[in-house]
Amino acid sequence: MAAVAVAGIALTLGLVACGGDTVGGGGNGDVTTAEGGTASGKLTISNWPGYIDPGKNGTVAEFERKTGVSVDYVEDINSNDGFFGKLQPQLEQGESGGRSIFVVADYMAKQMYDLGYLQNINHSDLPTVFKTLLPTLQSPGFDPERKFSVPWQGGMTGIWVDTSKAPEIRSVNDLFDPKYKGKVTMLEELRETPALVMLAEGVDPAKASAEQWLKAIDKIKVAAESGQIRKFTGNEYTEDLTAGNIVAAIGWSGDASIIENENAEWRMPTEGCTQWMENMVIPVGAPNTAAALAWMDFVYQPEVAVDITEYVEYISPVQGVKDLLAKRGSELAESDIVFPTEEFTSKCTGQNTPPDLERVNEAWQEVLTG
Amino acid sequence: MGLKQRLVPYWLLGPGLLWLIVFFLVPMYFMGELALRSGTLTSGFTFDWAWANFPDSLSGHSEQIVRSFFYAGTATVLALLISYPLAYAIAFRAGRFKLVLLFAVIAPFFTTYLIRTIAWKTILSDSSPVVSVLQALALVPPDGRVLATSGAVIAGLTYNFLPFMILPLYANLERLDLRLVEAAKDLYSSSRQAFIKVTLPLTMPGIVAGVLLTFIPAFGDYINALVLGGTQQAMIGNVIQSLYLTQRDYPEAAALSFLMMALILVIVLIYIRFAGTSAFMGEEEDVA
Amino acid sequence: METLSRGWAWLRRNALPIYACIAVAYMLIPIVVIAVFSFGATPKGKLTFGLDNGFTTEYWSSAFSLPELNEALFTSLRLAALATVISTVIGTMMAIALVRHKFHGRGAANLLIVIPMATPEVVIGASLLSMFIYYSFALGFSTLLIAHVMFSISFVVVVVRSRLIGFDRHLEEAAADLGATPFATFRTVTLPLLAPGILSAALLAFALSIDDFVISNFNSGTTVTFPLYVFGVALRGIPVQVNVLATMLFVLIAIAVTLVLWQQRRAERLAAVRPEPIPIPGTAAAQ
Repeated sequence: MAAVAVAGIALTLGLVACGGDTVGGGGNGDVTTAEGGTASGKLTISNWPGYIDPGKNGTVAEFERKTGVSVDYVEDINSNDGFFGKLQPQLEQGESGGRSIFVVADYMAKQMYDLGYLQNINHSDLPTVFKTLLPTLQSPGFDPERKFSVPWQGGMTGIWVDTSKAPEIRSVNDLFDPKYKGKVTMLEELRETPALVMLAEGVDPAKASAEQWLKAIDKIKVAAESGQIRKFTGNEYTEDLTAGNIVAAIGWSGDASIIENENAEWRMPTEGCTQWMENMVIPVGAPNTAAALAWMDFVYQPEVAVDITEYVEYISPVQGVKDLLAKRGSELAESDIVFPTEEFTSKCTGQNTPPDLERVNEAWQEVLTG
Repeated sequence: MGLKQRLVPYWLLGPGLLWLIVFFLVPMYFMGELALRSGTLTSGFTFDWAWANFPDSLSGHSEQIVRSFFYAGTATVLALLISYPLAYAIAFRAGRFKLVLLFAVIAPFFTTYLIRTIAWKTILSDSSPVVSVLQALALVPPDGRVLATSGAVIAGLTYNFLPFMILPLYANLERLDLRLVEAAKDLYSSSRQAFIKVTLPLTMPGIVAGVLLTFIPAFGDYINALVLGGTQQAMIGNVIQSLYLTQRDYPEAAALSFLMMALILVIVLIYIRFAGTSAFMGEEEDVA
Repeated sequence: METLSRGWAWLRRNALPIYACIAVAYMLIPIVVIAVFSFGATPKGKLTFGLDNGFTTEYWSSAFSLPELNEALFTSLRLAALATVISTVIGTMMAIALVRHKFHGRGAANLLIVIPMATPEVVIGASLLSMFIYYSFALGFSTLLIAHVMFSISFVVVVVRSRLIGFDRHLEEAAADLGATPFATFRTVTLPLLAPGILSAALLAFALSIDDFVISNFNSGTTVTFPLYVFGVALRGIPVQVNVLATMLFVLIAIAVTLVLWQQRRAERLAAVRPEPIPIPGTAAAQ
């Protein structure tokens, strides 16, 4: 048996043969551009759940009928980090696991691009997109020339309030009031909760120093340890609101459809919110870039975009959707949440990455894991 | 013993060992190599014999390790107390209904971990009648809650790992010779004594198996803490999740994982020594 | 007074079965909750664990209307069945070798079996993934199967082993004395007596596979299993059909078990003989 064991170990060591000294460390310089062409064959898209209108008359089915492309629409993204963690080893090798598109947040798209995991996109392959894209989204901070990202849907992070129990909550600072002890939850996202707390203290998250981030994180830490904050959540706060376990939560604007509590209302904090946008990106190793580009262009047609937004109830990046909804007589056309005006979001900030990310993230994770 | 005879254990073990070596040891080797690297995802992980990763990760998360031990330990004890009589009943008093009861024990697994735990979250929500009853019984303070507390996490762990305790106990209890127990009752004249002196020792292998199968996975669990816990209930599993997926500090995640495995192995070895190696290693016994 | 002490005596005698019923009821509480709430009407078809919106059977009539859900459930069942068969066979063989035979490296083998159970799922999942990537092994059903068998083997071994320990060899010796070959002895004596242990182990392996999330998440590629599907949709609201299918599955298996029981009863009645193992002195007692 000992002999067998030794042989086994020798064999496996031989097989493994140390993979080099340094692993990872960003892309190797040349970024490829996704090739256009006529759409055909099979297309695999990874997206968040509930982010598209489903069924026989849904957008995917429509696209399949129109182009003859067979679409494998997989809803396997539950969190930006989780998805990244799952895909990173493959992306590192230039593989995308069969996917030609995924949908991730601004900062994640940038991170992936910097690591060399994404392909560039030619504007000439996306005529509809650049015709109907909202002007405010044409040149964002993280991708000024829209080289690698095309917006999908967006939203705002603010405060959900149970108006029957705590109608006076209007600012993130109110969440620290001891009379709501144990009845308040906050999001576990670094770029949302500490940023909102900083906004409430009068600090601009886009320009804050690492120390200011750490100070906000410390304030939250004290509140967590004292039991003021009940829990840090992903979107489980919707369950707690429905069950009446909490009176207020930091949460996302479009979640109205999953909160079964008619007293719950999304409020723009008095000091401003964070705004975010999820983006379609084409990864390295994407097997069918022509179809991917055709898809992106397809969903930017206003008649298609309006179906998506009507179901999903988040912010559409396409012009003309509001008017089409109004024509359909939908209440959504009047909604501040689905169609926020410039004025409404005047104090809002984007999803900012803190300076000295590792140190700040580590401090935040410590708060999250108690 | 002929050569063919001597080879029997090896080819019985062969497939399993091979599977475990290729699909467990080799990946573990990759992990171990990763634990000795330092750096970040963006700057690259360089292999530089970073042994410091081990003590660093331990000191940073000692609180969660202790907490995990406490939660898993309590849950295991509770599971044992709940499961032993149940397994006994299924083995000896169920007759025709053995299969039905065994199935009932497994059935909750078909609903997936998450839905089960969410169902409990609903049952234990602040405004539910169950919580009101618990408040009336003074098990919960009048304006207190069950969710987002250590109690909820332990209850969740206990519930979710009951089958892991029941099945090995049952498998072992089932072959218990009841006439030995009867004989003991004749000798000791008290059921309690008969139980302690005869039944318990004979069923020790089942208890050992059940305790190990429950404690070990419970220690590394993170879902119960995630769904039923609050801000101060994170277990070591949650920490490793966070290190791996959110902070992407793979070396520290790998180092902490190895430490966790080592810790569990130590606990297991101590426990086995205490419970008797024969109960675990399976030395041949001759039952007269 | 007489009835009270009678009642008390009855209670004492039946304490165990009563307790068992309570314990089993406790285990089934979430299933009841899930079943009840599969009848709850909700505006967007999302699960709310509340009946405030009324009672409806619409989700039962449209139970199979979500193709992704159906596919995910079917994939999980297929995967669990295959993984169970493979891991139970391999694990039982290992348990027999470990308990019945003395050989070099027994301690090492024992260790190798315990360690996977001690490893956090994130680590197993991620490290397996790294290895698959390194060797350019396509992710999907096969990688899931490999992973599921891997983590089940340890559990099977531990369960079967605890059944094997102290197993009475006399029956097998008797069979050998009667002229049976080792293989025949194994088939007709050892295996049937080992059956409860193997069954428990198989049930456990099945449960582990059908319920696994973390490891599957890393190694599934674009294949979606039932737990992966549920975790996914939990973000935007679990469709009520999930509850419906879970309840359906439970009911189906309950029916299957009942049928097996009924079959047994029928077979016994037809044979007009209740099967009782012949008690041999000094062996495992019959019921």
